[in-house]
Amino acid sequence: METNLKSKVMDEFQEITSTLINPYLKEWKDNGGKIIGYFCTHVPDELITAAGMLPFRMRATGSTGTELSDAYFITINCSFPRHLFNLAMHGEFKILDGLIVPNSCDHVRRIYDNWIRQVDSPAFVRMWNLTKQTTEHAVEWYRDEILLKKSDLEENFGVKITLDDLRNAIKIHNETRRLLRQLYDLRKADNPPITGEQALAAVVASTAIPRERYNKMLRELLEELKSAEGIKDYKFRLMIAGGILDDPEYMNIIEDHGGLVVTDYLCFGTRLFLVDIDEEGDPIEAIARYQVQQRPTCPRTYGDQPRRAQFMRDLIRDFRVDGVIGERLLFCDSWLMEHYMAKQDLKELGVPFIQLDREYVLGGKGQLRTRIQAFLEMIGG
Amino acid sequence: MSAKSDDAKFELTLKRYKQERDWFKMLLDTVELLPGEENRLQEKLLHILLASKESVLDCAEHGKPFVAGYFCNAPQIFHAMDLTWYMLMETPFLAASAPFLLEDLEGAEAIGLGTDTCTAIRLPIYYIETGQMPIPTACIGLIYPCDGAPMLHQVMMHNKGWKDVPVYAADPPYTTDDRALDYFADELKRMVEFLEKHTKQTIDMKKLKEVCEEDNKVFGLWQEYNELRRAKPCPHGWGIGGAQAFAISQCFVSGDKKCTEWFQQLVKCAEENVKAGKGPEGIKEKIRYLWFDILPYGWVFEVMPWMEEEWGAVLTMDMFGNYPYTLIDTSTEDTIFRSLAKRNLIDAPMIRQARGTDENFATDIRRIVKDYDIDVVIWPGHMGHKDGAASIGIMRETCRELNVPFLHIGLDLFDRRYTTPEQVKDRISTFFSSMGLG
Repeated sequence: METNLKSKVMDEFQEITSTLINPYLKEWKDNGGKIIGYFCTHVPDELITAAGMLPFRMRATGSTGTELSDAYFITINCSFPRHLFNLAMHGEFKILDGLIVPNSCDHVRRIYDNWIRQVDSPAFVRMWNLTKQTTEHAVEWYRDEILLKKSDLEENFGVKITLDDLRNAIKIHNETRRLLRQLYDLRKADNPPITGEQALAAVVASTAIPRERYNKMLRELLEELKSAEGIKDYKFRLMIAGGILDDPEYMNIIEDHGGLVVTDYLCFGTRLFLVDIDEEGDPIEAIARYQVQQRPTCPRTYGDQPRRAQFMRDLIRDFRVDGVIGERLLFCDSWLMEHYMAKQDLKELGVPFIQLDREYVLGGKGQLRTRIQAFLEMIGG
Repeated sequence: MSAKSDDAKFELTLKRYKQERDWFKMLLDTVELLPGEENRLQEKLLHILLASKESVLDCAEHGKPFVAGYFCNAPQIFHAMDLTWYMLMETPFLAASAPFLLEDLEGAEAIGLGTDTCTAIRLPIYYIETGQMPIPTACIGLIYPCDGAPMLHQVMMHNKGWKDVPVYAADPPYTTDDRALDYFADELKRMVEFLEKHTKQTIDMKKLKEVCEEDNKVFGLWQEYNELRRAKPCPHGWGIGGAQAFAISQCFVSGDKKCTEWFQQLVKCAEENVKAGKGPEGIKEKIRYLWFDILPYGWVFEVMPWMEEEWGAVLTMDMFGNYPYTLIDTSTEDTIFRSLAKRNLIDAPMIRQARGTDENFATDIRRIVKDYDIDVVIWPGHMGHKDGAASIGIMRETCRELNVPFLHIGLDLFDRRYTTPEQVKDRISTFFSSMGLG
């Protein structure tokens, strides 16, 4: 889908998203800064920011093969860890000073086990230990986990993380959330100024560069978008729901056929910023409560499906969505069943839904195009 | 909704369960005709299994409380509360050789459950979604060790037919330290509160202590039995041992005298074989193998006997038989719950390997290979065990260090179409030949 948007910031976001190690990371490192890699949305990147380090969300952007990781992750494993671990074995993450892996799913959690045995760098590799529910006991567990990891970071990197540091980090990250919500609000319009492809690039970039710098850039983009011409040449307003999707080209293929992606329920999307962390009171408690009870969860959180379904219904209503695409990385049990339930819920709501399985590295574009075309025809009646 | 239609719906919830019962009755009729001590053990187990099934049906048909739960939900507590229970994954775990399995797998695919999630997860979801699962008074869910388990229960809670079934699931931490055990022990205490509330059955701590003490006797006997399996030749093969010991002690009569008696008979049977220098009937042991998973229940009769007969390959230990349990400390209520937490979070097979970080894949292989003088480790590579698939390098390298061959097959333990029994045999034969085994 063509847009008339001319924006240096957007160009830069797209460049950052299409690169694994971007110039901002190198600059940060050259200036003596430390970088901590982390997976998924379950690790509180505020803690890393509070430690004066740069949180970098792990991706396998640019990967072309799995020749080294095939000995450790096999074909019934999700292609995301397979590609990522391959890059790790090729030494592509040497820029990292530390790595935090949550037990978010069966595939990602094993990156920790294999990394500590097969990859030399970084030396600081830790599990972020999660429970699976939204109870008060789970909040308490998460709170303790923050305290344990805080001490661990302090001890290993010779830093001190004060409560004020945490409060400040929460403010910075909440600012990102507010700005991203503003960006998404623009997509509620009849003629949104950006495509789904561009929006995804903007979100991915937020996890890959110094956060205050990112916030400044996003403010500039929002200013530019005030005078941008809206997109008119689309037929349907779509939403994408699913797990890790960090490749804007996937959106591009969908949007090439007349469906404009106006919102999402993705972990590089609304699940990062729909809700703020409470800025009052104990920051550790606030982060724990945000992570366990407040933010939109992914299917690994047991018992929270009704709330996830409500988040989706709200997004469908607010963004006036015509159809939902449930994307899923092959062999992901969580999203298979979540989409299975979503399909039933959306049928009751009268919203068309399609589930599309994919591999992490975009392939089978022709097949994807055919399925999108058929889905759009179905929406069009 | 008419009363007739309600009746039909209710009957449907029990249809498969009754068919499974009948399937086991048929197996019992066959086993009763077979000679030998091993078959007497199978016979006893089948009687206990059938009594359990009849009890569930009796509860369902007469409005008595019963529970859906799992082997790693501290079944000792169910027993101490006099609760009848069944396992939601009972069909794949226990009745996978039943004739309707493939039909149901196709049904699961047809309703949109795909083909790449564990069959043991897809089948119960299919039964729930199509109204073919007994609807319990309350459900104790299982949300570990894999991604599929919490999804099974979330689909269950989403299902309109199950909306009135209260569900509780003990929340599993990922670590195995004191912090995790304390957390999980509290979760089990909350499970008791939940069961008392929804079943109106109360727990008698004196009885729980007695059940746990009886259970300790069972696990003492199990340890003794596992010691006997170290003998050469191994006194038993694939046909009797871990799978049955697991089923009787964890799925049917945990902490019951019947269970203890069965284990005593098992030990006696193995002892006699060891004394006589005998292995499985008619088999000359040439290869001692570790089958590091559940047995392939969907087609177990086609491959396991063949391995013994064709290759002299004797299953010396398997994942479910290797149960490095610690005994339950019955000193106080707190020690009981903490021991049960350890048992159910850390010790239980499959949970032990798959729930947390993967050191148990390596340590269990290392210990079993040494203790049982294993010649080859077979990781069947069940399609549902994604975390295990991502531990394959660790297992392979562990075996390399031990200088013991490692075979990864890639199959579905329940669905013979994924890798057919013939293909499995071919893989095994090729591997054994190339390794100079047998």
